[in-house]
Amino acid sequence: MSDNVVTIENLVKYFDGRCVLDGISLNVPRGCIYGLLGRNGAGKTTIIRILLGLDFPTRGTTSLLGTDSGKLPPKTKGRIGYVAEAHNLIQSYRVGRLIKLCKDLSSKWNDEFFNHLLETFRLPLERKVRELSTGMRAELNLALAMAIDPELLILDDPTLGLDTVARRQFLELAIDVLQRDGRTILFSSHILSDVERIADHIGILTGGKLVVDCPLEELKNRVKKLRLIFPETPPLDLHMTEIINQQIQGREMVITVANMNPHKQAFIDTFKPSNCIEIPMSLEDIFIECTKSNSRTLAD
Amino acid sequence: MFTLIKREIEDHIVYFIGAAACSLVFIALSIAIAYHDKSDGPPLVWLSLSIPVGIIVIIGFGAMGAGQMYNDRTKKISALLSTLSVSRSRILIARIAAGILAMLILLVPLAVTIRILLRIFAPYPVPYPVYEGIVTEVFTSAFLMGFACYCIGLQTGFTSSKIAPTFGAIVLTCVLVPLIIIKGLGTHFVLLTLAFIAASLIRTWNKFMTTAL
Repeated sequence: MSDNVVTIENLVKYFDGRCVLDGISLNVPRGCIYGLLGRNGAGKTTIIRILLGLDFPTRGTTSLLGTDSGKLPPKTKGRIGYVAEAHNLIQSYRVGRLIKLCKDLSSKWNDEFFNHLLETFRLPLERKVRELSTGMRAELNLALAMAIDPELLILDDPTLGLDTVARRQFLELAIDVLQRDGRTILFSSHILSDVERIADHIGILTGGKLVVDCPLEELKNRVKKLRLIFPETPPLDLHMTEIINQQIQGREMVITVANMNPHKQAFIDTFKPSNCIEIPMSLEDIFIECTKSNSRTLAD
Repeated sequence: MFTLIKREIEDHIVYFIGAAACSLVFIALSIAIAYHDKSDGPPLVWLSLSIPVGIIVIIGFGAMGAGQMYNDRTKKISALLSTLSVSRSRILIARIAAGILAMLILLVPLAVTIRILLRIFAPYPVPYPVYEGIVTEVFTSAFLMGFACYCIGLQTGFTSSKIAPTFGAIVLTCVLVPLIIIKGLGTHFVLLTLAFIAASLIRTWNKFMTTAL
């Protein structure tokens, strides 16, 4: 039996004739924290909604906890915690009423943990959800998702609207959840430092394709940015596979290369650059390089 | 399921209060008629109450169905509920059950009251079972009519296109009104309305199960 908690195979989604997801395939193994990155409109939320059965794929299959997403039985849903991007909570309800509704409709509810979260977040039970700040709504949504003690936690840009302290609390909670046996987190975020801090696997979506899908450390090792300085104009025929980006300015050429290895280094050396410096790259730098319009795929 | 039905009732409590209030008003009217207008035979006057009851049923329950679905769509209620341990089918069944409950709140107390009043005030020599049959027929028809309008409401509230539900409502009206005028309320009316309700529910079900929430 596969130990993948999330499976996506050749997922294609069209909206009004426009291809949003173009043959996405990815697996999230049990216990993994998978960070899904992409610019606005890249299709992160669409993938998550299809996974949860809230939307339907044009082609391809998706499954959660071994069950087809379109046919998730209530029992399986009860093992999945979800924090929606815009914190889709019933705005007209009081916080207390919403909590009671979610509790009554959940197959499992960890009162002790939930009350601890309520105290941590200091959520006012008597106020209506629409009267809460965006940050408080995010906290409430997160607390509701965590209360069911989920095997799989899906977070769609969960820190959107949270202040620095609340974001830190969220990250600590996410780590706390992961430390329990076999917990898996799939989350999308715009805050790359958050992703870098907690994710151990990264997927980068751009142009409807998954251009990166590998462990974070491997990604950092695989992608290198080099500044090459030539005695004269840089050669225009420096072509090789897996150059993600290439920029020329004066005598300087900056290239971002995937899967850098000694063969590639030897090839670059044949052009006799007077200087070759590796520029350190954070996840944010890699993300920007990968999502530029002329970037090329890095997926396995 | 009970939690889902309870949520529907609480969220649309105004329809339930309205149904109960209308029922009380009509009960009071029926009792008043029974005690003050015995000369011409109260049953016929009571049957005339079916006209305002019918109008309330048609407008009220059509609005209720549309309101339930519109709220769901705009507030993304099902999107939240279906991420909990709840299936889409249960959400819809609970919603329809709440609609039926509201109709029963309006019609059942009124039907029971009129039956009791008929037992007391039915003019001799027409036998009581005749009136009882008429009352049953009128209230069954009112319920089915209300349910059919409720189904149209469900569709109108959930889809952004209003063509299909409007077309359905026009067809239903064009067929049922002449049928009632020509043949009266009876088996034809019941069968036709049941067929319409079944078709409407299948369409609503299909739409609700296959639309992105």
